Amino acid sequence: MSVLVSRRGLLAGGGAIAAAALGTGIAVARILPGAMQPLIGPGYKPTDRDEIGLWQQMERVEEEIAGSNLLIKDPGLNDYLRDLIGNVGGPAAKDMRIYLARIPEFNAVMFPTGFAVVFSGLLLRMRNEAQLAGVIAHESAHFLRKHQIRQWRDVRRKTDLLAIAAMGAGVAGGAAGVYTGDLARLAQLGTILTMLRYNRSLEAEADAMGVRLLADAGYAPMEMSRTWEQLIGELDASAKYRRKKRDRGYSLFSTHPAPEARMADLKLSASEVTIAGRSYEDHRARYLRAIGAIRPTLLDDQVKLNDPGASQYIIDTLAQDGWNGLLRFYEAEVWRLRNRAGDDARAAQGYAVAVQYADAPADAWRWHGIMLQKAGRRAEAKYAFAHYLSVAPDAPDAPFIRQQLQFL
Amino acid sequence: MRRLIIAATCAAALSACVQTKQYADVQFAPPEGEYKLLVMRPDVSVGSVTTGGLVEPRADWTEQSRANLLAALKAQQASRGGNVLILEKRDGLATMGVNSDTVAELERLHYAVGASIALHRYSGAYLPTKRRKGLDWTLGQQAVDLGRRTGYDYALFLHAEDSFASTGRVALQVLGAAGCIVGFCAPNIGGGGQFAYASLVDLRTGEVVWFNVLQAGTQIAGISMGDIRKPEGAAQMVDRLLNRMKPGREVQRAMKASGQ
Repeated sequence: MSVLVSRRGLLAGGGAIAAAALGTGIAVARILPGAMQPLIGPGYKPTDRDEIGLWQQMERVEEEIAGSNLLIKDPGLNDYLRDLIGNVGGPAAKDMRIYLARIPEFNAVMFPTGFAVVFSGLLLRMRNEAQLAGVIAHESAHFLRKHQIRQWRDVRRKTDLLAIAAMGAGVAGGAAGVYTGDLARLAQLGTILTMLRYNRSLEAEADAMGVRLLADAGYAPMEMSRTWEQLIGELDASAKYRRKKRDRGYSLFSTHPAPEARMADLKLSASEVTIAGRSYEDHRARYLRAIGAIRPTLLDDQVKLNDPGASQYIIDTLAQDGWNGLLRFYEAEVWRLRNRAGDDARAAQGYAVAVQYADAPADAWRWHGIMLQKAGRRAEAKYAFAHYLSVAPDAPDAPFIRQQLQFL
Repeated sequence: MRRLIIAATCAAALSACVQTKQYADVQFAPPEGEYKLLVMRPDVSVGSVTTGGLVEPRADWTEQSRANLLAALKAQQASRGGNVLILEKRDGLATMGVNSDTVAELERLHYAVGASIALHRYSGAYLPTKRRKGLDWTLGQQAVDLGRRTGYDYALFLHAEDSFASTGRVALQVLGAAGCIVGFCAPNIGGGGQFAYASLVDLRTGEVVWFNVLQAGTQIAGISMGDIRKPEGAAQMVDRLLNRMKPGREVQRAMKASGQ
């Protein structure tokens, strides 16, 4: 005799499995920085079969990344980043490698074998060395806590269990004369959700350990939560310009915890790792010196993304530490490229402000001249162009500007 | 009962297969006699299929298979009489003034072109502009430069993947097959198989003149259609991939016309 189970009953059962897999909620409890011990020491080499296989594959990946033409090869800057990871890399500091890729996005990635890729968009957004070191410390923590191989083992275990359960349920259902396909599909969803949850808890681990590494190295640990504050502000500003709400997809299907939750946890953790009486630095001046040569490129790449909301927010955030000619010029560029009603006048004013600074880039003088010429202010335009030619005599358009000057 | 067994055998046979499909430039004639062939570093990865169906890379199997494939390639080319150099590392041409970066760049370029061939020739996204043109892709000047500097006539690019069902996967397969008795039949959950391709580039013109894809697999976990971890399995793969090079359409037509 076969047991009769209704389809709806089965679905409800499956839903319960999926819900149970989710646990009590989406939030991951804060992980205490004190509990985060490194799982590897210096000179770590894998000994387990699965990890050896993963490392071999990743060595090929690193070979490709190391030779990629997306990398910014500036030796000074690369030495600087290597020193940074050497400061906040914990016991494996000497083993880790770091590559800087020219990608205008807020991101950094750690690979299982201990090499990190930092996106140039990250260098643009960081206000000081402590903020950058915080992101690098977070990435180092992924390596020190063996997150990638733990993640892989978790996925493998869960997919194994799912395959066995689905097959077992199928055979049992077959024997009982019940179709279990719906149930299997719901269990599959549950499995995917638990994998993402595991991923989020590893991110929380990396935050907790990262903030500790940061403070141990003498950097102001509170800067790490400020990084998230800046990211939230930027996402909001970007969405607002497009008359949209910020994508709050940081929930069930997200691999990372919500930025708000991370920011709050990092604040608590930062105060936990702070030792009274010790002084913590943000090393802003040293940071600006290190990225000085590529900062115009970083700003240029960002402004050309056609995301005026985000670009303006980034420039305003950086300007909280003081305006300069470079930031003023790119502020005007955001307006010019945005091209809404009144933006041309705003941009013209922006260039006029930018050239007041001694460090204004040559292009600020060029655009200042063009805007003056358009407004019919010929004498002033002539002066601006002449200044442009004096600071950039070999500019690609220098002959053209020289010819124009004859008619002004 | 007998009919059932026959049906089951047929189903098993159908779900296991070895397939190759090659395309050639319409003007392509398989290289013969005195030619110089450069074999680029073969891209090999071998893994194990977990119970849940994921492929887990295995370093020891990969090393073994790469060595076997290199040996099989040397043996195969020796029998054809060509003058062959197999690059086991990217810096293998340094004595001829070609550094590893140049080799890496050409490999990456080929990877992009190969992906395009796979998409538009094999995955169904056919391009109307490439219809009836055989194989119409090129690596351009970079490949010609390599040929000029090294004196090689052809470059061969190889990619091979192989995977094998783990004990857990095979056990799951047995359970699936056993389920057929109670009416829940999962006789072919899949697990393991080969995927490989070879691509021949004429270094005098830069064009990809011949491309072949090999797929050997089975829907039944635990049955292997080839094993490149063993020397004979690697030789079999090289044979399946490279030993039946067909000339391009116009060359075939000319051969027919001349009564060969």
